[in-house]
Amino acid sequence: MELYKFLPKTNCKKCNPKTCMAFALALLQGKVKVDDCPPLLEPKHKKDYEKLKELLGSEDGKEKELTIDVDNDLCDGCGICVTVCPVNARYCPPTLSGKAPDYPPEKHQLFQIKSGKCELLNLKQCRRIEAEGRERECRVCETYCPREAIKIDYV
Amino acid sequence: MVSERITCSGCSLLCDDIIIKSDGLYIDEVIGACLKGKERFDQITSKNRILNPQIKKDGELQKATLDEALEKVIKIIKNSSKPLLYGFSTVSCEAQLKGIHLASVINGFIDSNSTICQGKVLNTSKETGISLTTITEAINKADLLILWGANAAESIPRLLNKVLFSRGKFRMTGREIKTLIAIDPVKTASFGVMGVRDVALQIKAGKDIDLIRVLKEECCVADSIPDKGIAGIDSNDLKRLLLHLTGAENGIIFIGQGLLNSQNGSNVIKELLELVQLINVKQQKGRMSVMMLGGHYNMVGFEHVALSNYGKNQSLQFSNNLLVETSDTIVSNIEKEDFDCSIIVGTDPISHFPKHLSKKLMSKPIILIDNKQSATSYVADVIIPSCITGIESGGLVYRIDHVPLNLKKIINPPNNIFSDEEIIEKIIEKLV
Amino acid sequence: MEMLVNTVRMIDNDQAKEYSEGDNNTLTEKLAIGLINPEDFKNLNLTQSLNLKLISNFGSVIIKALQDKNVPLGTINMPVSIWANQITGIENHELLYKNIKVNVEVTRDSVLGLKELINSIKEK
Repeated sequence: MELYKFLPKTNCKKCNPKTCMAFALALLQGKVKVDDCPPLLEPKHKKDYEKLKELLGSEDGKEKELTIDVDNDLCDGCGICVTVCPVNARYCPPTLSGKAPDYPPEKHQLFQIKSGKCELLNLKQCRRIEAEGRERECRVCETYCPREAIKIDYV
Repeated sequence: MVSERITCSGCSLLCDDIIIKSDGLYIDEVIGACLKGKERFDQITSKNRILNPQIKKDGELQKATLDEALEKVIKIIKNSSKPLLYGFSTVSCEAQLKGIHLASVINGFIDSNSTICQGKVLNTSKETGISLTTITEAINKADLLILWGANAAESIPRLLNKVLFSRGKFRMTGREIKTLIAIDPVKTASFGVMGVRDVALQIKAGKDIDLIRVLKEECCVADSIPDKGIAGIDSNDLKRLLLHLTGAENGIIFIGQGLLNSQNGSNVIKELLELVQLINVKQQKGRMSVMMLGGHYNMVGFEHVALSNYGKNQSLQFSNNLLVETSDTIVSNIEKEDFDCSIIVGTDPISHFPKHLSKKLMSKPIILIDNKQSATSYVADVIIPSCITGIESGGLVYRIDHVPLNLKKIINPPNNIFSDEEIIEKIIEKLV
Repeated sequence: MEMLVNTVRMIDNDQAKEYSEGDNNTLTEKLAIGLINPEDFKNLNLTQSLNLKLISNFGSVIIKALQDKNVPLGTINMPVSIWANQITGIENHELLYKNIKVNVEVTRDSVLGLKELINSIKEK
């Protein structure tokens, strides 16, 4: 929304997503560049153009990368993330009944509890990267962590 | 290097799915255990482990040999006529049986931590009846979980993982079909696992009994929920709670310390158990059951061992080597100062009991059998170190849901350190 | 000021007690504390350097106050420990660990360590 404010808001349909709102979203996800908006390059929008460049920083245009951050000081190793993760559930049958997955970990396994702390094994298997459609919006590990130790972010 | 699944003795949940990597001498890696379980394994080499028997000489604890320490123990026991044995909730059932035998030999009074904890529920259930359930049942069938005065996310970390998030056999969708209700005055960490369908009830401290009474009435007559709500819970939430309680197919109420140790704890428990029975009578297709959350891993074991061998589940008084009738508990016994020495096994009463009880306890000689330093170890007269049950010695233990499990011996204990069972056996041998 | 004390179990504090990884100091740091609502903290005119003295019918103890917005107004949450047990007692032959009425005072006195505390119990 922050980005939308600085767009021309004319819905001129000269860019790829056609509307300014969609363009703002695409900007946020890094799918388009600021320079892809033709009216912005005009002199009267120069201020907004600079502001947008500043907001997006140097990462402008780069595909944003998913990170799952586990705070080791907060984590108490309850294993809820291990059990609740749909990827773990598919590939590690013991987690279906709340048990710890087998060791050594299966190659698709996302989380494991080691020495009383949660450990992220394999970020590439996360639904936010692998899955299609609505499943891509998966946030269960972050939502259900009782100590709020897991943070999903795009950097 | 062996990696195998073992049972963890970190807390009363006794997770049987912990994977360890060990070469038979040390434990290299613990996988799957929570922080509590991991600390339990760390205890083998921890800084505060007691490795030498100690005797108090001139007001200072000094290292001694095991024989010297045992002699001192015998001396203290022989000089006393009313010994008090307490603890036994962090030892195996075998050691508990030996402990009760020791009490019968020295004509002592024996009690476990259970008396001031979940044993209250079992005692109350003698009047009201109780419906219990198991963890496996909870995993496979439960659709309603109520945490009442319990912060399971921090006290038994893996409990919610097991019962709430597991998919189980008949609840394949897992979390979505299970409802969690948390009743607590404080917004604890357990409130953090709440989803959209769950009910978080922040009750006013100490008003649980009012809520239970209202619920009981509602179960009988129905639809006259007080408009203003009760105990800080508004009428809409009350309605939802009631709907869940009476509509659940397989509900479990987890009774925590918040209910057990408040004012009129026994009354609250009694009302709650009656409420559960009422719901069970009314309900046609489902059932409601309770589970007590205790901390120590073999708290339930003492009740079973004492009941099956001596016919009484807690507070056993021996006289002339026979069990006698008594209405005393550990609390009333210390309060009356009706003892002249105490044998503490695997617990830390000095920091667990209120001040004036621990003061009375401190005024008499204390014999401590434990593996770690604690407030009690500072004031003990004799300390005999024991090995860590579940890691350095095996044995039978009971889980919170009254299911017996076997603990395995994984590595050898350090030199000259024996299990609780062997130590008590040695004391009995020297006495007879 | 009148407040209620609840003893609670929290994993960090619990671990410190049961296994005391560190020395005496961390025990005091982890266990001789009370969590109170930030508003109560303000009302009591507390600062970082001041401590709280809790006086109940059964005894008194000095603890360090920490702020936690999850604690309801008028209550203090203390981890189960020997410090908390200075103000707990017995009611109707049962141990009372929850909802203990206490009088709260702000004090400059320091928090007692474990050994000092045990000695003070012995002497009284």
